[in-house]
Amino acid sequence: MEIPYTVKPRPDTGLYNAKLGIWLFLASEVMLFGALFSSYVLLRVGAADGTWSMGLMDVIVGAGNTMVLIASSMFVVLAWAQLKQGDLAGYKKWKWATVGCAVLFLMVKWSYEWPSKFKHYDVWFKDTAVLHAHVNEGYGKVAGTEENKAALRDEENKALGLPRLYAEKKIYVGRYFKTDSKKSQSAFTKAWEDGSLALSGHINGYEEAEIKVEIIGWSSDKGVSEADADKALENQGAKSPDDLRKNGGTLLEKTDYDTAKLAEYKLTKAGYSLALSVVGYQYKEAHPYFWRTGRVNEDIGGKPRVLSIDFGLDVNSGDKKEHHPEVKIFTKDIKRLNSYEPKHSTFFGIYYTITGLHAAHVFGGIIVMLYNLLPIGLATWHRDREQFANRIESFGLFWHFVDLVWIFLFPILYIL
Amino acid sequence: MSATTEATKTADAAEVHHDEHHDHHEQGFWRTYIFSTDHKIIGIQYGFTGLAFLFFGFCLIAMMRWSMAYEGAPIPFVGPMLEALLGSGVAPGGVMSAQLYNVFGAMHGTIMVFMGIVPAAFAAFGNYVVPLQIGAVDMSFPRINMASFWSFFIGCVVMTVSFFIPGGAAQAGWTSYSPLATIIPTDGQTYWLIGMILLITSSLLGAVNFLVTIINLRAPGLTWMRLPFFVWAQFITAFLLLLAFPPLEAAGILQLMDRVLETSFFLPTGLVVNGTDVDVSGGGSPLLWQHLFWFLAHPEVYVLVLPGMGIVAEVISNNTRKPIWGYKYLVGAVVVLGFLAFIVWAHHMYMTGMGTVISAFFQTTTLLISIPSVIILTCLFISLWGGSIRFNTPMLFALAWLPMFGIGGLTGLPLGFNFSDVALHDSYYVIAHFHYVVAPGTIFAIFAGVYYWYPKMTGRIMSEFWGRVHFWSSLIFMNLIFMPMFAQGMAGMSRRMSDGGATYSLANPDNADAGGALSDTIMGLNVSISAAAWAMLLAQIPFIINLFWSVKYGKKVESDNPWRATTLEWETPTPPPHGNFTKEIKVYRDPYEYSVPGAKEDFTPQAQPSR
Repeated sequence: MEIPYTVKPRPDTGLYNAKLGIWLFLASEVMLFGALFSSYVLLRVGAADGTWSMGLMDVIVGAGNTMVLIASSMFVVLAWAQLKQGDLAGYKKWKWATVGCAVLFLMVKWSYEWPSKFKHYDVWFKDTAVLHAHVNEGYGKVAGTEENKAALRDEENKALGLPRLYAEKKIYVGRYFKTDSKKSQSAFTKAWEDGSLALSGHINGYEEAEIKVEIIGWSSDKGVSEADADKALENQGAKSPDDLRKNGGTLLEKTDYDTAKLAEYKLTKAGYSLALSVVGYQYKEAHPYFWRTGRVNEDIGGKPRVLSIDFGLDVNSGDKKEHHPEVKIFTKDIKRLNSYEPKHSTFFGIYYTITGLHAAHVFGGIIVMLYNLLPIGLATWHRDREQFANRIESFGLFWHFVDLVWIFLFPILYIL
Repeated sequence: MSATTEATKTADAAEVHHDEHHDHHEQGFWRTYIFSTDHKIIGIQYGFTGLAFLFFGFCLIAMMRWSMAYEGAPIPFVGPMLEALLGSGVAPGGVMSAQLYNVFGAMHGTIMVFMGIVPAAFAAFGNYVVPLQIGAVDMSFPRINMASFWSFFIGCVVMTVSFFIPGGAAQAGWTSYSPLATIIPTDGQTYWLIGMILLITSSLLGAVNFLVTIINLRAPGLTWMRLPFFVWAQFITAFLLLLAFPPLEAAGILQLMDRVLETSFFLPTGLVVNGTDVDVSGGGSPLLWQHLFWFLAHPEVYVLVLPGMGIVAEVISNNTRKPIWGYKYLVGAVVVLGFLAFIVWAHHMYMTGMGTVISAFFQTTTLLISIPSVIILTCLFISLWGGSIRFNTPMLFALAWLPMFGIGGLTGLPLGFNFSDVALHDSYYVIAHFHYVVAPGTIFAIFAGVYYWYPKMTGRIMSEFWGRVHFWSSLIFMNLIFMPMFAQGMAGMSRRMSDGGATYSLANPDNADAGGALSDTIMGLNVSISAAAWAMLLAQIPFIINLFWSVKYGKKVESDNPWRATTLEWETPTPPPHGNFTKEIKVYRDPYEYSVPGAKEDFTPQAQPSR
């Protein structure tokens, strides 16, 4: 049973089945990405002043990635052209080049662009005074250069203070408005005065709780035998598990959060009841990923898990040669802390969704290309050259669409 | 339609054609009946699954109707089962709780639309009949066809499983509006979203398949204007699915991210739930969800109805022994309907505070879209004139479809106008309207299709007696269920009230003008409607028995074309083997050459050459 027009095109439509099919599929993809683009427009237009982030994307890297994809689109056509001429080796060469470009694109996104965002934070404060103090302290360190004084027209704005001006003109305006205007000024003033202004930067280190883990008691409710319960205690480093189980006591005098929590989890499963308390704080130098408000505020026996963070403030690109000024922020003052992840704001939400879905399409394309390069797919070439070439042509159409989506995405997300 | 008889015939027929299939080999049970790429098997798989879920969805509402008629009373027979299966939290002592009512309500809608009608009307009949009607050996992409079914099946599994997770299934309506759908803490909504993504994927794959098949695999001589109207209807339906579903897929992804990754696509700033601020960024728009949802869901209702129109056209032409009147108008109308379907969606959103300009636009397009629907209905009505009508079971259902769909369509008009929709929105009037179009509408067309094509699929005819019993009982009870709902809606009864409006009525006892107190008559209708619903459920039992019994014991057909029809599906052996046709198919005529003057018989098949 042979399905007609699988390889040879149908005379009146001029299309073979797969080509028609892929065009129809692309029509549905236009609707899919179109819906996401429309959502982007609606969300951006509806965003209140000072809430839609701009200028956070590395335009050079994005443009580079755009070139990579455009090149890959060229390569995929060259691969097909070689195939139509019967040159399998030529096809493989250009197809591997396409795969290489696709992998490079994804690596740039997944290893460089996205991770650097996951390490970047915005912090909002409960108290306006604390916000002002941190701005003055932090930006005071960079705002005082002659260059900045001139740029900020210190004389005219003396009443406002250089650090505040720096925060507004050098950081806030570029972030939310592109250019200084009445709108940006009034939005900043409002945010400054009602304390809703966020500080952005990196976490350079933090003081995390050192925890004492005490065993309160044990019951056999969890269905664990005494011997097994003792074993569990021993695994957590207890010297005399039997005694500890019967009488309670301190398991770990002072340990880090992860060890304490793991012990709590494992021992609770074994039927123990524990009490964790904070006995001190230890400074850790680290650049963590994905922290949220709950993480820094997490309560352990009435004390926070993280006492303070050393926060390196963002500076304007003109001041890159200065190292990022650091302020110590106490978590008790933090109203909200969030890395630049989807949850951060609708801007990041839609950014990750659209680029993520696009990346998923690139990834899917890589899988299909590998299939068509490895013996499993090449079997079709040896069976029916024209059918194989058609398959590659259909894929090329898909790949061009994926490239086209990126060509729309790049200016919209990176430049506008 | 049990697999056994059909299977033996297929296997026998397949062996006969062994030499014609270069890569055919004896496939085991699993590849032949379960993971089959044959469009007929896939069509039957969709049919069984679709009908099963239609029944399941009906059972859900039957239980809900008990709560509406006798709120607080344990459901007889079923109540203890509910409590055992779902726990005393939601079904204490066999009584349906308000929460369970919401779960069943949301799932009734979802199941009926996406797991009942679309697979049964579009996918089942489409897969089985369309390749046959265009003279093709199979769909253009058989493996994608199989993938489409199994994606659908997994989606159904996910939806069904969601009933049994802690917290139960989705409960924010089949419309899953944010913020409610996002803030519900249990996982039912998440399962719903994942299930929807699988179901949408299935429909997209299927849509591509149908379109390529119809465009590229038509037999020689089968020009566009010689296509049976059923194929035109499926063609437009496939376009609707292809282009309208992706925005809902996008919306589903966004809502899934709202739930799982705590984004705020649809959550506004300053959202407070149970007295506490929700810990999200805000800045989102609940309206965005509504736009994205209804952008699909309006074309979706045409997806539900168009295959039914196609089936009715086939059955009417065949049983009046004359061509359908106005074939060109029907085709033009269905194409225009397809286009207009995309620009009316916000008539589901009149109450969201939209401005007068936008509202005027959508009212205009909504009224415009009634025109092609009326044209189609009128053509089908006129087709009866001068016909030599055979009142067999499929024809009875097709005939009843006409006024039922007419009532549904006409009652939609007050909803299409903004000013009257103010009074009627979210009331039982809306429920009555849309159920008339899909329940006696689409479902009657599905029944007509089942009775009509059963002989081709099985080689036997379903019992005519029990068919009539099924028809008359369904028709009567259907109207007893939905006609009174118009009155309830106009009296002000709102949708989605688990106690049938009792509390709502008590809350405004004197304010009859503002739709407050619901009179005893109106409230009393809850009981009669519920009773009619249970009777309707029972009325399906003869149909189910008939369906299975007739495979073995139904009257055998005397020819491959027992209805003496003109379209190509009747040119195959019965049931059609793998590869469908045993002779070369060329088309020489229009699809409905019945009672051609001077012809020997009162029908001339499309594939019959000119004399």
